[in-house]
Amino acid sequence: MIAYVVRRLGALVMILFGSSFFVYNISAISTDPLEELRTSTAPNKEQLILNLTRELRLDLPAPIRYFIWLRGVLGVFVGRADFGQTRENQPVITEIVGALPITVRLVFVATIVAIILGIGLGITSALRQYSRFDYSMTFFAFLLYSLPIFWVAVLLKQFLAIDFNDFLISAQISLPSIIFASTIAGFFWAAIFSGTRKRVLLIFSGVFVVNSVFLSIISATKWFLNPTMGPIVILLAAIGIAFGITYLSVGLENKSAVKSGLFCAVVGSIMYFPAQILLDSNRPRVGLLLMFILLIGVALLGSVIFNRIDRGPIIRTNVISVVIIGLLIVIDKLMQSWRPYIESDDINFRPISTFGQSTAWLFEVPFWVRSLDIVLHMILPTIALTLISFAGYIRFSRGTLLEVLNQDYIRTARAKGLTERTVIMRHAFRNTMIPITTIMVTDIVSIVGGAIITEQVFGWYGMGTLFNKAIVSFDLNLLMGVILFLSTLAILANLIADLLYSVLDPRIRVGAGK
Amino acid sequence: MKLNRLSKVAIVATAAAGLVAGALLPANAATRSTVVIVTSNALTGLNTSVDEMNLTINGDVAYLQGFGFYYYDNSPKLVKNTTFGNYKVISQNPFRVQYNVNPGKVWSDGTPITAVDLLLSHVVRSSSYSLGAGLGDPKSAEVKPGFNSLGYGDVYDTHHVYLPKLSADKMSLTIEYDQAIPDWEINAPGPSPVHALVHMAEGKKSLQNAAANLAAKAKFEKAFYAYDKKLMAAMGKVWSNDYNVKEVNAQTNPLLYVGNGAYILRSVVANGTITLVENPRHKTNPSGPKTNGIKTVQFRVIDNATAAAQALRNQEIDVYAGQPTADSVAQLRAIPTAKVIGGQSSFFEHIDLRVGKAAGSTTEYTGPFAGNSQKAKDLRTAFLLMYPRDEIVEKIFKPLNPGSVRMDSPIVFPKEPDYKAITSNSGVSKFTTGTPSSREAAALALVRKHSATDVKVNLLWGNPNNTRRADIMQLVRAAGKRAGFEVNAPGVQGWSSRLADSEWDAQHFAWGKTALDQKGNASLYCTVCSSNYLGNSNAKIDAAEKKLGAAPLSAKERLEQYTIIEKELYNDVVTLPIVQFPEVTGANAKLQNVKPGPLSPQIVWNYWEWRYTN
Repeated sequence: MIAYVVRRLGALVMILFGSSFFVYNISAISTDPLEELRTSTAPNKEQLILNLTRELRLDLPAPIRYFIWLRGVLGVFVGRADFGQTRENQPVITEIVGALPITVRLVFVATIVAIILGIGLGITSALRQYSRFDYSMTFFAFLLYSLPIFWVAVLLKQFLAIDFNDFLISAQISLPSIIFASTIAGFFWAAIFSGTRKRVLLIFSGVFVVNSVFLSIISATKWFLNPTMGPIVILLAAIGIAFGITYLSVGLENKSAVKSGLFCAVVGSIMYFPAQILLDSNRPRVGLLLMFILLIGVALLGSVIFNRIDRGPIIRTNVISVVIIGLLIVIDKLMQSWRPYIESDDINFRPISTFGQSTAWLFEVPFWVRSLDIVLHMILPTIALTLISFAGYIRFSRGTLLEVLNQDYIRTARAKGLTERTVIMRHAFRNTMIPITTIMVTDIVSIVGGAIITEQVFGWYGMGTLFNKAIVSFDLNLLMGVILFLSTLAILANLIADLLYSVLDPRIRVGAGK
Repeated sequence: MKLNRLSKVAIVATAAAGLVAGALLPANAATRSTVVIVTSNALTGLNTSVDEMNLTINGDVAYLQGFGFYYYDNSPKLVKNTTFGNYKVISQNPFRVQYNVNPGKVWSDGTPITAVDLLLSHVVRSSSYSLGAGLGDPKSAEVKPGFNSLGYGDVYDTHHVYLPKLSADKMSLTIEYDQAIPDWEINAPGPSPVHALVHMAEGKKSLQNAAANLAAKAKFEKAFYAYDKKLMAAMGKVWSNDYNVKEVNAQTNPLLYVGNGAYILRSVVANGTITLVENPRHKTNPSGPKTNGIKTVQFRVIDNATAAAQALRNQEIDVYAGQPTADSVAQLRAIPTAKVIGGQSSFFEHIDLRVGKAAGSTTEYTGPFAGNSQKAKDLRTAFLLMYPRDEIVEKIFKPLNPGSVRMDSPIVFPKEPDYKAITSNSGVSKFTTGTPSSREAAALALVRKHSATDVKVNLLWGNPNNTRRADIMQLVRAAGKRAGFEVNAPGVQGWSSRLADSEWDAQHFAWGKTALDQKGNASLYCTVCSSNYLGNSNAKIDAAEKKLGAAPLSAKERLEQYTIIEKELYNDVVTLPIVQFPEVTGANAKLQNVKPGPLSPQIVWNYWEWRYTN
């Protein structure tokens, strides 16, 4: 094992050396930093060219400049690495350190959402193999897979930002829109719960009516100008969540689990009131932490009161439920900030922004308004990245689950008389996750490097923008810094994925056979 | 229960989709007090005289924060800024110019502005001062000078004599030159808050009181005239490095952004939004620039034309100017709440033909256009006759800006008053008479006189990803074929470093202009000019270029010299201008007086005229 890791790390160094030498020289040959000056008519053109030549050591051939750069980088072994300065005279390392959290913020949320949605839909699709739902999911997966992100971004901005902001002026939904949206929703749910013709029709009309009424209420009350949930809606949602999570994890037939789940839902919703005080305090971050600690306390208390056997899985279930309830309370808090947010001078009733990471406030605003601003800026790029990346997860998890379901041990489990839920969630789902985990690791890295277009289109200053800027402004040091970072990350991620595979799947051993 | 929960999720999801068809009414907001301008780059520093910080956006911020003796309007023309002060030539022999600062002007920290604040301008532009104070040789290829300035090597550097002299009241400065120089006007010294620089050189991190500021100013004055290496070197370090900030917030040293403009920096988010607010100490007396209810100017970073157009549509930004493409112009025109303002840039496309070996080339040029034999001249004439300039303007540039016109003078732009006079006398008519097809026929006849087969011409034009020029090359290849030329015009990575290479017979690229100097584009064509990639040498051009650089000329004399140069260029058959780059600006329809100019600072030059109407 150790020998294997050492061998792989050795290969890493060789690959990095080779690729950096190659990239450095190609970039140096193919670009001309003096382009602008050569075609300038400035009277002191020669002095300007001399300045830049001195700055970038253009008098030396590219391979020699590479080794000057490499000498700085190799300082990493003696504790003072020097990745050089950008053309703007900033240390490359600070640029990367500054850009990284922004990309991570963007990629992290999008990846989590893509994984949850993709796996959820993929598994549903596999369980309904060859149904209408399965076919339409396959269709959508391939459709989304092939969409170019810049185009998705343009559509999202038009519909979810510009049109939404225009809509907010009246905040009333027109009748055709209500009918259209309700029809789509009806089809979606009818497809998922497909069955006899009567059942499909029933589900369709049920969803259609509920959806229409819901949208009409939203329209009539101009809910979007003053959105709110309040404790009642949170309570109803919490009860639903408690049932749902319990069903998926331990099953509704476990009465004590249902009881403690309901306890958590009710008490968790009551926590709404003290939570308001905590969140409105001078230190909202501490308040937020306290609220979640309290909620987890409720989850533990619930299982202490109601459960004597099988406590572990129930505690896990309850914790998941209360965390979701906590998130609902936070969302409600953000909704309360909506009105002051859209009324502020900077926002001026156009809350959904098409670009940027946040608003540069002219005046001090409360913590929750600032948080809402950041969340709203994240929505569009996150949807865009999610849309194009979750299709892969749908296909992959569907295929893997189908393969697992054909294994002998699944037949054995069913023969033992286990419930379908236990077979799917315990036996099949967990084994499906093994290969998915390993692609997740490499996927995250590829998104970090591949968010160039997304970041540029949405005006986010992350690694992708940095990379692009390095290329456009002929900034060799910056370019090399970014490439070195990304390639190290890619190679390490592959190594981690391999190791993870052997940890998760006992049948596989790395470095074995020697 | 599960169905219920799931349908709730579905409802929320579809509600979002249902919003698509919401009512489409324009917002009716109150009068805005903020102008948000798009920049493609983030702020990288506050001192644009240093190479690393010499970016358009840094220049725009510096312009809003600082006032000098003049500015360029959108003609472009040099305008005296009498709000700040005035200047005049007080003696022709020796040639002396006096600069007077208006009394009562103060920096944003309250320190009075005097002529002492003009002295730093000398330090960062005079090589002899740098050497004299032991700050290093700006011409060295190894070591940066103490003040790592872009100002060295200019007319000021080569012609000034002695140190600038302060008047007794320290409100005026006299600069002496070794002769009457052209362009003395654009070489005016700019004001710098020297007291802040001295404070920073001494390690101070906050604004100081009035007495300390005056003391610091006096200290600088003394050090300046004494060539005080210690203080100057410390100031040079601050001047070259410390202004290199990407972020301005409560922790930033406020001494870095002491200014005298109408706006002053409030905050800069790293790699993001730049916010400037009105400078309460900015005095508009006696008259001149004042702001009209615009309290805040923000710059936001978007490096994508479509994204900028959508942001304008979403009313997040008020002004966007960028390199136009057919798509981006159409997008801007489709926005109901915005107006599109066309303009011409100071860049112009042209076609150059090589005559001989250019400076910097290692091999002799032996292509079809080499030398001045009848054959080479005929082939060059044929090539320029063939060059589809009209078609390029019609098909490529008119769709971007309907005001685009073919350019017939490489020195005077079509909008300038002298344009008619020069084009009717320069002899350019031999390339403009007739129709494109008759000119192509004439070209073919000339080619066939010397060669039975098509003549192969290698044309250098730019990087392969420059789609606009790649489109132009399609037209050139087709026209060449009709006129007996086989035009080989590949896109070349790093093309600009090969401008002098003898391998290329012709070059199609754009010249950019950054200032209005007397020589203008005439400096492109003399034998020893650093921009002469043609390998052409003509004694009459050299003489005219010299004359333009020697002394201030009247408008008439200047035009004479320009005409001589152009006549010779067309006699030698070496170059033809094609068209100015178009500029397209999209602006909030309610924002008045946005008048983008061709020279820096293009958008913000007249910020004091901006105002909103309802």
